[in-house]
Amino acid sequence: METKNEIVAKIEERAEVLRVIKEDLISRLNLPYRPEDLHEDVSLLGSGLGLDSLDALEVILGVEHAFGVKVAEDNIAILRSINTIADHVLAERRGREVAS
Amino acid sequence: MRPTPLHDLLASRGAVFGERAGAEVVLQYGDPAQEYRAVREAVGLTDMSFLARFSVPEEGLDLLERYAAGAVSSIRFGRVLHTFAADEGGLVESDLYIANDDTRLLVLGESLVDDRIAAAVLDGQGASAAGLVDLAADTAVIGIDGYQAFAVARELFGADVLGLPYLSIETYSLLGEEIRLIRAGKTSEFGYALLVPAGRAADCWLEIERAGAAHGIRPVGAAAHSALRLDGRFFNIHAEGAAVRDPLPLGLQWMIDFEGEDFRGREAILARREAGLRQKIVGVVPADPAAGLEPGDPVLLEGETVAEVICAADSGTLGQRIGLALFDIAWAYSGLTFGARGGGAIRTISMPPFMPRSLTVRLDEQ
Repeated sequence: METKNEIVAKIEERAEVLRVIKEDLISRLNLPYRPEDLHEDVSLLGSGLGLDSLDALEVILGVEHAFGVKVAEDNIAILRSINTIADHVLAERRGREVAS
Repeated sequence: MRPTPLHDLLASRGAVFGERAGAEVVLQYGDPAQEYRAVREAVGLTDMSFLARFSVPEEGLDLLERYAAGAVSSIRFGRVLHTFAADEGGLVESDLYIANDDTRLLVLGESLVDDRIAAAVLDGQGASAAGLVDLAADTAVIGIDGYQAFAVARELFGADVLGLPYLSIETYSLLGEEIRLIRAGKTSEFGYALLVPAGRAADCWLEIERAGAAHGIRPVGAAAHSALRLDGRFFNIHAEGAAVRDPLPLGLQWMIDFEGEDFRGREAILARREAGLRQKIVGVVPADPAAGLEPGDPVLLEGETVAEVICAADSGTLGQRIGLALFDIAWAYSGLTFGARGGGAIRTISMPPFMPRSLTVRLDEQ
């Protein structure tokens, strides 16, 4: 179990990543929503926001540009929701910290 | 209670019947865990005749714009909109598929209120003048869901069925009857809902069983579907929907046309949107995979309750309990570990928590 301070620190880091992803999604895809309208688990492909393959490429470009991480175009597991994208970004950061 | 046209046939298959919003529903046929596995690994066959269903001619579009939260007027021919209907207070009442079916709009609704209440609401909004036709007595709805559902659909309707995009409707022939096929589903596997004549529903069911035999088809009830929806992260109006009702903490904003026509409950929803979210649902699992998780369980942070589990089920894929908890907004994030009653721990998780096998299939290569 984590302490309150540990949880607050994790939330601060994750909230910032989520904010950037949401703002980029709305801007790039011209979505008619505010950032707070996008639940982090909403499905990006198919159901939910219903993004198509071209939209998915835009999302990948946005993530790579904003966070400097690579996302393989065929790795749809990462693109299933805003939360799964954030998980990937945070995992890549952890990997870099361990490597450096 | 509105009976299913398939009652006698399904009773012979061992169906355990229950009631949902005034309609008969099959809860299970035996072990829900086996039914769950059938959908994830093969094919499940589901009587979905508990759904409300009606049609409105295209001239009656205004009725549905006043009824549903989504952008009904923007549904293109042959496509389906997933949205909801709310009560006057802006609380979710029905989960809707609205299909643009040539000269009419076809509505399939899964509701917290029975058909008579929904009919009264629609009557109050001018259903008769709009030409609404209730299809419940004359039709049945049969669902084909699963990793191999596409193969069963191909055998029944030909290879062109594989080209249907998600959330679309098409007309096919089954046993000489004109039927409607909606490609949809709430399991995260391939899904098709067939609207068939009530008088031929049993024959259609048997024909689908025949076509699916080589693919391991088996009947599936509502209990297994609850688990499939939960770990596939599809909205379940009878689980988190019934517990929360407010579409904003539920994360259903994507179903709402905020800039569009006035709809029932719109003002209340917009007012809550402006006030800001105070709670949100988040996926949770017990940190110990063998531990339990039940609705009503508190999620604790240094002894204080920060969330409550609102629905839970066995995830056959994860091999443990999974649930949704309604969190105070400050703590509504995945990737955290909180306390559980009795000294255990509950983890918040990103949803959906796994890749369904259906997403690994390329239908254009089948």
